[in-house]
Amino acid sequence: MVFGKMFMKILNKDRRNKQISILIIGLNNSGKSTIINYFKNKDDRKFVSVPTIGFNVEHFENQGISFTAFDYSGQGRYRNLWEHHFKTCNGIVFVIDSSDRMRLVVVKDELELLLQHRDIKRRRVPILFFANKMDCIDALSSVKIAAGLNLEKIDNKPWQICSSNALTGEGLQNGVQWLTAQIRECQQTKELPHE
Amino acid sequence: MALLIMHSYNKSHSSPPRGGNPFQNLEKTSVLQEARTFNETPVNAKKCIHILTKILYLLNQGEVLGTREATECFFAMTKLFQSKDTVLRRMVYLGIKELSTIAEDVIIVTSSLTKDMTGREDFYRAPAIRALCSITDPTMLQAVERYMKQCIVDRNSAVSSAALVSSLHLSSQHGAGDVVKRWANEAQEALNSDNIMVQYHALGLLNHIRRNDRLAVGKLVTKLIGQNMKSPYAVCHLIRIGSKIIEEDYANGTNTISDTQFLEFVDSCLRHKSEMVIYEAAHAIVNLKRTSARELAPAVSILQLFCGSSKATLRFAAVRTMNKVAIMYPAAVAAFNMDLEGLIADSNRSVATLAITTLLKTGTESSVERLMKQIATFVAEISDEFKVVVVQAIRTLCTKFPRKHSILMNFLSAMLREEGGLDYKTSIVDTIITIIEENLDAKESGLSHLCEFIEDCEHTSLAVRILHLLGKEGPFSKHPSKYIRFVYNRVILENATVRAAAVSALAQFGASCPDLLQNVTVLLSRCQMDIDDEVRDRATYYLAILNSNNPSLCKNYISSNDQMVSLTLLEKTLKDHLHGPLNETFNLALVPKTAPTPAIAEETHNDPMITTNSVPKAPRVTREEVNVERLLQIPGIQRLGPLHKSSPAVQLTESETEYTVSVIKHCFPQHIVLQFDCVNTLSDQLLENVKVDLLLPEGYIIRHVIPCAKLVYGEKESTYVILEFPADVSSSSATFGATLKFVVKDCDPTTGLPDSEEGYDDEYMLEDFEITVADQIQKTKVNNFAVAWDAADTEEWVELEETYSLSAVNTLQEAVQTIIKFLNLGPANATEKVAEGTHTHTLLCSGVFRGGAEVLLRAKLVLADGVTMQLTVRSTDQDVAEIVSSAIG
Ligand SMILES: Nc1nc2c(ncn2[C@@H]2O[C@H](COP(=O)(O)OP(=O)(O)O)[C@@H](O)[C@H]2O)c(=O)[nH]1
Ligand SMILES: [Mg+2]
Repeated sequence: MVFGKMFMKILNKDRRNKQISILIIGLNNSGKSTIINYFKNKDDRKFVSVPTIGFNVEHFENQGISFTAFDYSGQGRYRNLWEHHFKTCNGIVFVIDSSDRMRLVVVKDELELLLQHRDIKRRRVPILFFANKMDCIDALSSVKIAAGLNLEKIDNKPWQICSSNALTGEGLQNGVQWLTAQIRECQQTKELPHE
Repeated sequence: MALLIMHSYNKSHSSPPRGGNPFQNLEKTSVLQEARTFNETPVNAKKCIHILTKILYLLNQGEVLGTREATECFFAMTKLFQSKDTVLRRMVYLGIKELSTIAEDVIIVTSSLTKDMTGREDFYRAPAIRALCSITDPTMLQAVERYMKQCIVDRNSAVSSAALVSSLHLSSQHGAGDVVKRWANEAQEALNSDNIMVQYHALGLLNHIRRNDRLAVGKLVTKLIGQNMKSPYAVCHLIRIGSKIIEEDYANGTNTISDTQFLEFVDSCLRHKSEMVIYEAAHAIVNLKRTSARELAPAVSILQLFCGSSKATLRFAAVRTMNKVAIMYPAAVAAFNMDLEGLIADSNRSVATLAITTLLKTGTESSVERLMKQIATFVAEISDEFKVVVVQAIRTLCTKFPRKHSILMNFLSAMLREEGGLDYKTSIVDTIITIIEENLDAKESGLSHLCEFIEDCEHTSLAVRILHLLGKEGPFSKHPSKYIRFVYNRVILENATVRAAAVSALAQFGASCPDLLQNVTVLLSRCQMDIDDEVRDRATYYLAILNSNNPSLCKNYISSNDQMVSLTLLEKTLKDHLHGPLNETFNLALVPKTAPTPAIAEETHNDPMITTNSVPKAPRVTREEVNVERLLQIPGIQRLGPLHKSSPAVQLTESETEYTVSVIKHCFPQHIVLQFDCVNTLSDQLLENVKVDLLLPEGYIIRHVIPCAKLVYGEKESTYVILEFPADVSSSSATFGATLKFVVKDCDPTTGLPDSEEGYDDEYMLEDFEITVADQIQKTKVNNFAVAWDAADTEEWVELEETYSLSAVNTLQEAVQTIIKFLNLGPANATEKVAEGTHTHTLLCSGVFRGGAEVLLRAKLVLADGVTMQLTVRSTDQDVAEIVSSAIG
């Protein structure tokens, strides 16, 4: 009897690790919805992309894990609504349009707000930055963006920045693999007594 | 929804409940606490459904959530979109709809909902549309427009219906109407659907979109009459729309070919195969004002047939319809009496009530007692709504059989003592007041009953009204002193509003009964110690006047209160006065009087809309009060003085033209402001500097023109012309030619941006319009016309009398309507209704001309070959008397 119960528990735990909830944020037009679309099955993909109003929930499988992604709208009017999902996400994907030099300062402001938010500040939640639209001629390199956004200052969370092209999928898989590994790790450390 | 609750319920409890309601002892805070579960991943659908059910249950029980609570709950709920459980998703839609009006930032679910409404899961689509419309505000409408249009013409009938009905709801939102108008083509397509509900809903939306365009509605109806629509619901709706047009035409005194066509159609529906349609047609015919005896007969026979039906709904519908028209067609209903007698003991109490009250309205004096006894046996069992029906019947009886007042009054006062809601109590009080006003013999007993009632009355509004009445009638009763005690008790026992009303009533006794003055002064001085400002102020005010020993002061400032001005306008006029140069004294006569409230309507007329039936009662504001707000934005408008009257809008273009223009005439003492409302219906044009050029009749002077800077496609904007009236009043009624002038810039239909900065001048002919005598007169309501008429027999008044033969009208009722319409006077003593079958009639009415001259009019009508009229006009101004009496000729 005792053995049976133990066995169940391991199974359960294993299942939970296979369900990941992530939050996709970033300014409007940075390519968030396109990125999610790339991860979905070929037949589930959408061909026309319209600006998101509010958010959309998308499901996809990657590395045998099922992801639930909350794809948020990046228009000014909705940015203050991101915070409603800060508390519950396992990881954050922050998408930046590398060709939009003008708005890099806006990105910086938004990132600052995110990092200072009470539901994020002290949490060890991994953040993946996509320096998207790397194919554009005037795109900034990921190194320049990292410097511009002062990413090295983030000290209590794992982070990573990847150049990507959401239209071809270049760079996306690498990024997601990194994120999955980090989320696993965070969850395991959480389970240790007295973190 | 009931289904969903059952479902979740069964799933979450393994054993059946041992009686009672499992949600009975729910507590808001603990349920909201539980709602945090929504944030957990993965989502536990079963558990969340149960919690959502609890939330919905609480909201439906009237529990109120604060903005923060609701917002938190709403956002927690948005997490549930990640679950693929279909039942949970549909519960989420319900939750969204309930919280949409309380929570903030609800538009966050827009994309999630548009995804569901266009997705593959049919289960989601219709409810997602409804939820979407509940969270969409006009600014967001553009973003979902494409989806809504698609869904309206969707092949799935549930989806199409949901989209149509939601559009209808949306279009009544402020600012959304113009967007929804653009969906007319899709609605038109849905009208051809095979599904009976879709067809009905499509008609509802189309009619709603065009409701302000009479010609377009007329065309729609004419077209559909020929099409033999499949949906009985749609046919019923069509009957209603058609009837509304017929009724309006009749009220305007016009009679068009299409009216005849509509009538034939309604008549043919009496032979329809659906009972619902047959009933609707019969109902329409008996309610139409223009129905003649010949048209009435077949409709009444149908209703008679339904009275004997085995279906309670049909019996109910038939007897209810007859009940409402009983007064108008006593002879037709008399033929019914046998059938009605048979329904007195109907097992359905509502049917029985209606049958008895119908009999009461039409029966003889001798039957009153028998019928009242019958009602008394079950009055306690029926709902308030039906008690009101009983009360209304009693009211008619009292007018008809004044001698029966004591039986009826006793019955009413017994009803007044029973439990009941405000509406019910109000109708009883109204009735008692009417009886008192109409029947001198009933006055003393009526007042006593009301006094007793206010000793224990929980409704402030009623107490205030009764106190006002006591103040008005009490001093002239046999023993005024006996009412003082009742009134003064209120000062001791009630809330501030009632106390203030009691103070005013006391003052009335002081002003009109010298014997009581001493007592009243003592009582009023006590009221000066009241803790409430208003009560103290009134006491002080009245004491000062009463102590002045000046009868004319007492008369003008206490006893006479006929001169009720519109308070909103008084406030505005006073403000303007204070902002002005202050070198003239304020003239109260310049403030418009309150428009007379229509005599207590028997029932609001069928509004053929499909929206909810519990429309909240809007506070009654006059057209003038609404317009003042708008007009105030015109610079310098204050100089024109107070607004006297605004006319209804008159169309100056045909429907479905490039530009639509209508005019509203705002009349001031010496000026008239013409407000032209323009709509540009061409999506590829932007109009600038839009104004109306007038061809002026003699005497009128243009004082100012305010063009409309920009007229974007689909938006309604206004341009104004301010005219000064001719010095000579008699030339003020005149015809104007009008042309719309503007600069056109071609633009991109999708963005609305002009292709280039260059535009070209263009103009568009408008129809001629008139400024009439009616535009310059505001209705008044005179309570006792005979007194006012006699009082107007002095030096200051002018009287003109003339005899006319009215060739264009054939009935007395038509003549009465024509006079009222031409002069816009307020009828008195219910003289606007001509009794059936009479050959003579006297119409009495009154109004105020711009500038303040009062007008009283008496028209004695005789029906011989055509109608002959002796018209007597009394006015405080010679010119006004002349223009009024010449307006009819
Ligand atoms: N050239 C280029 N265009 C991209 C890339 N990713 C997205 N886009 C385009 O950018 C636009 C905005 O993308 P969308 O996913 O809707 O942005 P979102 O507002 O962040 O969801 C779309 O027209 C995409 O086709 C990219 O990597 N390269
Ligand atoms: Mg997007």
